[in-house]
Amino acid sequence: MSALAGLLATPLLWLAATLGVFEIFERLSQRSGRHPLCHPVLWTTPVLIALLWATGTPYADYQADTFLLSFLLGPAVVGLAVPIWAQRERIKRLAVPIVLSLAAGAVTSIVSAVGILSLFGAPADILASIAPRATTTPVAMAIAQQLGGVPALAACIVLFAGIVGAMVATPLLNAMKFDDYRPRGFALGVSAHGFGAARAFQVSETAGAFASLGMALNAVMTAALLSLLAALL
Amino acid sequence: MLSAIFLLLACQLVGEALHRITGLALPGSVIGMVLLLGWLALVRRERPTLGAVSGWLTAHLSIMFVPAAVGLMQEGPALARYGLGLALATGVSTVLTIVVTALVFRWALRRFTPDEVGKRPVQLAEPGA
Repeated sequence: MSALAGLLATPLLWLAATLGVFEIFERLSQRSGRHPLCHPVLWTTPVLIALLWATGTPYADYQADTFLLSFLLGPAVVGLAVPIWAQRERIKRLAVPIVLSLAAGAVTSIVSAVGILSLFGAPADILASIAPRATTTPVAMAIAQQLGGVPALAACIVLFAGIVGAMVATPLLNAMKFDDYRPRGFALGVSAHGFGAARAFQVSETAGAFASLGMALNAVMTAALLSLLAALL
Repeated sequence: MLSAIFLLLACQLVGEALHRITGLALPGSVIGMVLLLGWLALVRRERPTLGAVSGWLTAHLSIMFVPAAVGLMQEGPALARYGLGLALATGVSTVLTIVVTALVFRWALRRFTPDEVGKRPVQLAEPGA
């Protein structure tokens, strides 16, 4: 028994548990045709919380064991430069609509999210966690941390925003009579990051490309706007 | 493959260093992204392995934020207290952002780049498609 006890001191158990549980929900998500409500993170998170709780494992231990996974977020964010670069011709041609709608979207997202939440009397750390809600999760977590927010809460908010965006975008934009896939996709990427992009690719290749672009550009735009704001305050 | 991983890590490292030295409030990884963009513009060469590595990372992004999301287990009181506000603010903000972004894009497309209007005639997606 003592021979095995040493294993618990390695990151193997929780790293394997995280990958294993995620893989189960990943397959279920594929089977559902990638329905936003079947997103693997949405189900993996509560299952792991239950496992930690049942085994009496403190979150700090789990966090240390799964550091390898969290660490990869940094290089993944840096890598977002690659799709932006691949779209450079498109960005040049449509620079004015892209820049103006990106700025308008980023400001709308920050002001409306923080504004509404402050009506509920939320304190500064909770407001800082919702401010980057339209960016892709790793960027939102980094910005939230920067502003003194809670990265876990930011991740959860971003997840919820993605689900809402993926579910309402098509009926909403149809009702508004948008017949061009460029603004449709771009808006989805700016507001609902990776979820929006995944949804947009299901509808059309053009919408998907513009959604990925919107997601990548908004990561930079929101980070810049919020840093500027933080520096001024 | 190694050179692509090195490029990503080097950009992030310099980004983190700039973040600490200059006190720039942008997260180090976002500065790293901008640096990589600058690098790609400077060294105009095809980089298939960089595309493969960053594509792999992006494809597996979801599992990377599971450890952070599990941290919600420590946020019970905040969620109980502000859960409704968080859900409402997030939902409304998401819908508003889609509407504003799409409207401004369409307006700017017609106003500033008339050549581009209707360049790709498309039909409306079916509802639920």
